[in-house]
Amino acid sequence: MLLKAPAPRNVLVRFRLGEIFGEAGHALQQRAILADALAALLAIRQAGAIVELPYRWKRSVYVDPLARPS
Amino acid sequence: MSRRWNQLLSWIYTRVPALPRRYAVGMDALAGAVPWTPAAVPLEQASVALVTLAGVHLRGQPAFDMTRSEGDASFRVIPAAVPAGDLTITHDYYDHAAADRDPNVVFPLARLHEFAAARRIGRVAPRHVGAMGHVLGAEERRLVGESAPAIARLLKADGVDYVVLSPG
Repeated sequence: MLLKAPAPRNVLVRFRLGEIFGEAGHALQQRAILADALAALLAIRQAGAIVELPYRWKRSVYVDPLARPS
Repeated sequence: MSRRWNQLLSWIYTRVPALPRRYAVGMDALAGAVPWTPAAVPLEQASVALVTLAGVHLRGQPAFDMTRSEGDASFRVIPAAVPAGDLTITHDYYDHAAADRDPNVVFPLARLHEFAAARRIGRVAPRHVGAMGHVLGAEERRLVGESAPAIARLLKADGVDYVVLSPG
Protein backbone atom coordinates (compact mmCIF):
# COMPACT_ATOMS: atom_id res chain seq x y z
CA MET A 1 0.00 0.00 0.00
CA LEU A 2 2.95 2.31 0.64
CA LEU A 3 3.81 2.05 -3.03
CA LYS A 4 0.29 3.01 -4.13
CA ALA A 5 -0.28 5.89 -1.74
CA PRO A 6 3.01 6.90 -0.13
CA ALA A 7 3.31 9.57 2.50
CA PRO A 8 6.15 12.08 2.05
CA ARG A 9 8.33 9.88 4.27
CA ASN A 10 7.61 6.22 4.97
CA VAL A 11 8.87 3.60 7.39
CA LEU A 12 8.07 -0.06 6.81
CA VAL A 13 8.23 -2.60 9.58
CA ARG A 14 7.17 -6.16 8.87
CA PHE A 15 4.86 -6.57 11.84
CA ARG A 16 1.26 -7.70 11.76
CA LEU A 17 -1.54 -5.28 11.00
CA GLY A 18 -2.75 -3.82 14.25
CA GLU A 19 0.63 -4.13 15.98
CA ILE A 20 2.86 -1.93 13.88
CA PHE A 21 4.63 -0.34 16.86
CA GLY A 22 5.21 -3.73 18.45
CA GLU A 23 3.81 -6.04 21.02
CA ALA A 24 1.21 -4.94 23.57
CA GLY A 25 2.95 -3.99 26.79
CA HIS A 26 6.43 -4.09 25.22
CA ALA A 27 7.37 -0.45 25.75
CA LEU A 28 11.01 -0.90 24.81
CA GLN A 29 10.10 -2.41 21.44
CA GLN A 30 7.58 0.37 20.83
CA ARG A 31 10.19 3.02 21.68
CA ALA A 32 12.65 1.43 19.26
CA ILE A 33 10.16 1.58 16.39
CA LEU A 34 9.10 5.13 17.19
CA ALA A 35 12.71 6.29 17.52
CA ASP A 36 13.57 4.84 14.13
CA ALA A 37 10.49 6.43 12.59
CA LEU A 38 11.48 9.83 13.97
CA ALA A 39 15.06 9.35 12.79
CA ALA A 40 13.79 8.52 9.30
CA LEU A 41 11.90 11.78 9.31
CA LEU A 42 15.18 13.65 9.10
CA ALA A 43 17.13 11.04 7.13
CA ILE A 44 14.76 10.65 4.17
CA ARG A 45 15.57 13.17 1.43
CA GLN A 46 13.21 12.09 -1.35
CA ALA A 47 9.41 12.37 -1.43
CA GLY A 48 7.74 8.99 -1.11
CA ALA A 49 10.90 7.17 -0.07
CA ILE A 50 10.53 4.09 2.14
CA VAL A 51 12.91 3.02 4.88
CA GLU A 52 12.52 -0.62 5.91
CA LEU A 53 13.36 -1.37 9.52
CA PRO A 54 15.30 -4.60 10.17
CA TYR A 55 13.13 -5.87 13.02
CA ARG A 56 11.62 -9.36 12.98
CA TRP A 57 9.20 -9.31 15.89
CA LYS A 58 10.44 -11.41 18.81
CA ARG A 59 13.51 -12.65 16.94
CA SER A 60 15.15 -9.23 17.00
CA VAL A 61 17.03 -7.65 19.85
CA TYR A 62 15.71 -4.20 20.71
CA VAL A 63 17.88 -1.51 22.23
CA ASP A 64 16.11 1.13 24.26
CA PRO A 65 16.72 4.43 22.43
CA LEU A 66 16.17 6.35 25.66
CA ALA A 67 18.98 4.43 27.34
CA ARG A 68 21.46 5.80 24.80
CA PRO A 69 22.95 9.28 25.00
CA SER A 70 21.11 11.53 22.55
CA MET B 1 -21.83 -7.37 4.76
CA SER B 2 -22.47 -7.65 8.47
CA ARG B 3 -20.05 -6.24 11.01
CA ARG B 4 -19.45 -9.77 12.29
CA TRP B 5 -18.42 -10.91 8.81
CA ASN B 6 -16.10 -7.92 8.36
CA GLN B 7 -14.49 -8.62 11.73
CA LEU B 8 -13.96 -12.27 10.81
CA LEU B 9 -12.39 -11.30 7.47
CA SER B 10 -10.13 -8.81 9.25
CA TRP B 11 -8.99 -11.48 11.70
CA ILE B 12 -8.01 -13.68 8.75
CA TYR B 13 -6.35 -10.79 6.86
CA THR B 14 -4.23 -9.98 9.91
CA ARG B 15 -2.87 -13.51 10.04
CA VAL B 16 -2.28 -14.09 6.32
CA PRO B 17 0.06 -11.33 5.07
CA ALA B 18 -0.43 -12.35 1.43
CA LEU B 19 -4.07 -11.23 1.57
CA PRO B 20 -3.50 -7.53 2.33
CA ARG B 21 -0.70 -7.53 -0.24
CA ARG B 22 -3.15 -8.91 -2.81
CA TYR B 23 -5.71 -6.29 -1.76
CA ALA B 24 -3.12 -3.55 -2.23
CA VAL B 25 -2.42 -4.65 -5.81
CA GLY B 26 -6.00 -3.69 -6.70
CA MET B 27 -5.78 -0.24 -5.12
CA ASP B 28 -5.69 2.88 -7.23
CA ALA B 29 -2.35 4.65 -7.07
CA LEU B 30 -2.23 8.14 -5.63
CA ALA B 31 -2.60 10.73 -8.37
CA GLY B 32 -0.02 13.49 -8.64
CA ALA B 33 3.29 14.07 -6.99
CA VAL B 34 3.95 13.11 -3.40
CA PRO B 35 4.04 16.33 -1.36
CA TRP B 36 7.31 17.35 0.22
CA THR B 37 8.33 19.84 2.87
CA PRO B 38 11.92 19.92 4.12
CA ALA B 39 12.37 18.87 7.75
CA ALA B 40 13.91 22.06 9.04
CA VAL B 41 13.35 21.76 12.80
CA PRO B 42 15.65 19.57 14.91
CA LEU B 43 13.72 16.85 16.71
CA GLU B 44 14.88 18.17 20.07
CA GLN B 45 13.00 21.39 19.33
CA ALA B 46 10.05 19.98 17.43
CA SER B 47 6.41 19.65 18.35
CA VAL B 48 5.27 16.17 17.30
CA ALA B 49 1.71 14.93 16.79
CA LEU B 50 0.23 11.52 16.10
CA VAL B 51 -2.42 10.86 13.48
CA THR B 52 -3.67 7.32 13.35
CA LEU B 53 -5.99 5.57 10.92
CA ALA B 54 -6.49 2.76 13.40
CA GLY B 55 -9.91 3.95 14.61
CA VAL B 56 -8.70 5.29 17.97
CA HIS B 57 -10.98 7.71 19.81
CA LEU B 58 -12.03 8.73 23.31
CA ARG B 59 -14.61 6.57 25.00
CA GLY B 60 -16.88 9.60 25.30
CA GLN B 61 -16.70 10.48 21.60
CA PRO B 62 -19.04 9.08 18.93
CA ALA B 63 -17.71 5.83 17.51
CA PHE B 64 -16.76 5.62 13.85
CA ASP B 65 -19.73 4.44 11.79
CA MET B 66 -19.14 0.81 10.90
CA THR B 67 -22.50 0.42 9.20
CA ARG B 68 -21.43 2.26 6.04
CA SER B 69 -19.86 0.05 3.41
CA GLU B 70 -17.62 2.93 2.29
CA GLY B 71 -16.29 3.55 5.81
CA ASP B 72 -16.32 6.75 7.84
CA ALA B 73 -14.08 9.67 6.85
CA SER B 74 -14.70 11.69 10.00
CA PHE B 75 -12.00 12.17 12.62
CA ARG B 76 -11.70 12.57 16.37
CA VAL B 77 -9.43 14.97 18.27
CA ILE B 78 -7.49 13.32 21.08
CA PRO B 79 -5.89 15.54 23.73
CA ALA B 80 -2.27 14.84 24.65
CA ALA B 81 -3.04 14.35 28.33
CA VAL B 82 -5.60 11.59 27.84
CA PRO B 83 -5.09 8.51 30.06
CA ALA B 84 -4.69 5.33 27.99
CA GLY B 85 -7.76 3.91 29.72
CA ASP B 86 -9.91 6.62 28.16
CA LEU B 87 -9.05 5.48 24.63
CA THR B 88 -10.99 2.92 22.67
CA ILE B 89 -11.01 1.63 19.11
CA THR B 90 -13.84 1.32 16.62
CA HIS B 91 -12.62 -0.29 13.40
CA ASP B 92 -13.89 -3.55 11.90
CA TYR B 93 -11.25 -3.83 9.19
CA TYR B 94 -8.27 -5.04 11.19
CA ASP B 95 -7.85 -7.18 14.27
CA HIS B 96 -7.27 -4.70 17.12
CA ALA B 97 -7.21 -7.15 20.02
CA ALA B 98 -3.62 -6.15 20.86
CA ALA B 99 -4.40 -2.44 20.52
CA ASP B 100 -7.40 -2.87 22.81
CA ARG B 101 -4.98 -4.07 25.49
CA ASP B 102 -2.35 -1.42 24.72
CA PRO B 103 -3.27 1.44 22.33
CA ASN B 104 0.43 2.26 21.97
CA VAL B 105 0.81 -0.54 19.42
CA VAL B 106 -1.02 1.67 16.92
CA PHE B 107 -1.06 5.06 18.67
CA PRO B 108 2.15 5.42 20.72
CA LEU B 109 1.14 8.47 22.73
CA ALA B 110 2.65 7.20 25.99
CA ARG B 111 5.92 6.53 24.16
CA LEU B 112 5.86 10.04 22.67
CA HIS B 113 5.50 11.49 26.16
CA GLU B 114 8.56 9.48 27.20
CA PHE B 115 10.53 10.95 24.28
CA ALA B 116 9.53 14.45 25.35
CA ALA B 117 10.47 13.77 28.99
CA ALA B 118 13.87 12.55 27.79
CA ARG B 119 14.21 15.68 25.61
CA ARG B 120 14.47 13.65 22.41
CA ILE B 121 11.65 15.73 20.99
CA GLY B 122 10.74 19.29 21.88
CA ARG B 123 7.21 18.61 23.03
CA VAL B 124 4.16 16.45 22.53
CA ALA B 125 1.59 18.37 20.50
CA PRO B 126 -1.50 19.33 22.51
CA ARG B 127 -3.90 17.59 20.13
CA HIS B 128 -3.70 14.35 18.15
CA VAL B 129 -6.09 12.75 15.70
CA GLY B 130 -7.86 9.42 15.36
CA ALA B 131 -9.47 8.43 12.07
CA MET B 132 -10.08 5.16 10.30
CA GLY B 133 -8.57 3.60 7.23
CA HIS B 134 -10.68 1.62 4.80
CA VAL B 135 -12.54 4.59 3.35
CA LEU B 136 -13.79 4.18 -0.18
CA GLY B 137 -15.78 6.06 -2.83
CA ALA B 138 -17.59 9.13 -1.52
CA GLU B 139 -16.01 8.72 1.91
CA GLU B 140 -12.53 8.71 0.37
CA ARG B 141 -13.40 11.93 -1.43
CA ARG B 142 -14.64 13.38 1.89
CA LEU B 143 -11.41 12.33 3.56
CA VAL B 144 -9.28 14.00 0.89
CA GLY B 145 -11.47 17.07 0.39
CA GLU B 146 -12.67 17.81 3.93
CA SER B 147 -11.22 15.78 6.77
CA ALA B 148 -7.55 15.78 5.78
CA PRO B 149 -7.44 19.57 5.21
CA ALA B 150 -9.28 20.12 8.50
CA ILE B 151 -6.77 17.91 10.32
CA ALA B 152 -3.89 19.81 8.71
CA ARG B 153 -5.38 23.15 9.78
CA LEU B 154 -5.84 21.88 13.34
CA LEU B 155 -2.24 20.70 13.59
CA LYS B 156 -0.90 23.86 12.00
CA ALA B 157 -2.87 25.98 14.48
CA ASP B 158 -1.17 24.04 17.28
CA GLY B 159 2.28 24.77 15.85
CA VAL B 160 3.02 21.13 15.06
CA ASP B 161 6.29 20.55 13.23
CA TYR B 162 6.07 16.81 12.53
CA VAL B 163 3.32 14.23 12.34
CA VAL B 164 3.71 10.49 12.75
CA LEU B 165 0.93 8.89 10.71
CA SER B 166 0.09 5.31 11.60
CA PRO B 167 -2.23 2.78 9.98
CA GLY B 168 -4.15 0.11 11.84
